[in-house]
Amino acid sequence: MLTLAIDSSTDNLGLALMESGQLRGEFNLSLKRQHSEKLLPLMEEIFELLEIEAKDLDGAAVATGPGSFTGLRIGITTAKMLGRIFAIPVKGIPTLEIMAAGAAGAYRLALLDARRERVYYAFYQQPEADSDDFIKEIYPPAAVRIAELPEVLNDYSQKQITIIGEKKLEVGKVLKASNFSIKYGEPESDLPRAAVLARLGENYLKRGQKDDIYQLKPAYLKKPQAEINWQQKYGSN
Amino acid sequence: MGVEKLKYKDKLKNKNEDIYILALESSCDETAAAVNKNGLEVMANVVSSQVEIHKKFGGVVPEIASRKHLELLLPVIDQALAEAGIKFEDLDAVAATSGPGLVGGLLVTLTAAKTISLALNIPLIGVNHIAGHIYANFIANPEIKKPLLCLTISGGHTDLLYFEDLRGYQILGRTIDDAAGEAFDKISRFLGLGYPGGPAIEKAAQTGNEEAIDFPRADLGKSYNFSFSGLKTSVMNYVNNEKQRGNEINTSDLAASFQKAVVDSLASNLLQAVEEYKVESVVLSGGVAANQRLRSYLEEKLEKYNLKLYYPPLELCTDNAAMIGAVAYYQYLERDFAPLSISADPSLKL
Ligand SMILES: [Zn+2]
Repeated sequence: MLTLAIDSSTDNLGLALMESGQLRGEFNLSLKRQHSEKLLPLMEEIFELLEIEAKDLDGAAVATGPGSFTGLRIGITTAKMLGRIFAIPVKGIPTLEIMAAGAAGAYRLALLDARRERVYYAFYQQPEADSDDFIKEIYPPAAVRIAELPEVLNDYSQKQITIIGEKKLEVGKVLKASNFSIKYGEPESDLPRAAVLARLGENYLKRGQKDDIYQLKPAYLKKPQAEINWQQKYGSN
Repeated sequence: MGVEKLKYKDKLKNKNEDIYILALESSCDETAAAVNKNGLEVMANVVSSQVEIHKKFGGVVPEIASRKHLELLLPVIDQALAEAGIKFEDLDAVAATSGPGLVGGLLVTLTAAKTISLALNIPLIGVNHIAGHIYANFIANPEIKKPLLCLTISGGHTDLLYFEDLRGYQILGRTIDDAAGEAFDKISRFLGLGYPGGPAIEKAAQTGNEEAIDFPRADLGKSYNFSFSGLKTSVMNYVNNEKQRGNEINTSDLAASFQKAVVDSLASNLLQAVEEYKVESVVLSGGVAANQRLRSYLEEKLEKYNLKLYYPPLELCTDNAAMIGAVAYYQYLERDFAPLSISADPSLKL
């Protein structure tokens, strides 16, 4: 089974190919706003280098965010089209889950900057030894004010939590002040890695867990500003 | 990307073979897909409009439009392929608008087209949206004789183009300041007539006397370029002077005189080019092409040369992908393909 992983949700542009549990190749490049120019040329490159053709793919995994709206749409559009053209299954995976699955520790807090003193967070646990899962979700991705995190994680204040991602030092300081026991993840786990996405994707797809490509969309976690403004003015709807 | 990397170069077709192109468009608030055979033959033309969604905001909201384009992408492609009775494997090329337009929206179909190009190993063609509107004329009126002149006039453009055939064009002149539609918008706003300015000015002008006020016409010598900023200034000066003198302003006369000045400027360059280029037809394109005074004046003047004036029918004035596919066919014949690294250009020029 050959799975392509695509991640354009953050500054990191990630591409990886996983073949039945074996990583064939991986790109992780911190490119900022160049995903539109770079994604397809890099995909062509990785196929050529590994002597693979797009039609050899058996499945695709794509990061669904949170992240840059435009970046997310670039990756998801690509995955949708591949799914449609070759009739292969596609699985969308939250960016924070990819980050947490690539880190170590019994309890993992994954973070992305949501600006204005806020972060996107998700909270995970190492799965039981006999489980097929790579990671167990405790709290799904959501946006929160950094100051509110000690309250959100209150049930886990006695556990050691590994913090990864953007704003980890700032969040760590706030949690420490509330007497949490924390540890910081290694720098390479601060970005979602394409190989991890490929591994998660293959695992989901093997179990028949795929998404409907017609419904697949980014986890925006935020309404468009115009919609927010309109609702403030006229109420909902 | 060098030509040696074009893996599809052995399967490129020539003019005497049937060429099928899937074209995509998402530059504003329509998500569209079309299948064209040999350029002007439209096998399917699917447009999904978001007009209703944006209505409550009083204009197109880019982020909302982009989200909708992503949702509608696969449904419009599926429908276009089904209506055309074509499979992905039958396609000779894939095209998408690369600009101008809203960048977030453009990127949805441009990325989809790139993926199709890589997946099927067929050429990718990036199309200018403005060129698309011009080629909508050739779809609607395949009898248009070449060579021809085209005046493309909208809120963002005022270009005079010469086409030897449909494979390409030469830009004879363009505006050095405001576009014609922009001039209409600015004067309309100045006179409190509303937006969009073109229809508002035209309506006010209907009951006015276009000889009432003698506004200057820009004289740029022998060039085919246009200029509207001088005219705009003199309209504003006129209004301010009259107000200072305590005179009431006849908005209808003013609108009619201003409109006539714009029409004269556009017509004089066009007619000068008709004299020089010995064309077989004249084509109008862009939002300002809807102006009835411009059409009737040009029709009257072109009669002397025995030239017919063409403008697109209303149904092809809205954004669609068939017009993108038409341009793409001629780019295909010229082997004018885009690399996978092409990005959307929100202010792409002709
Ligand atoms: Zn348009």
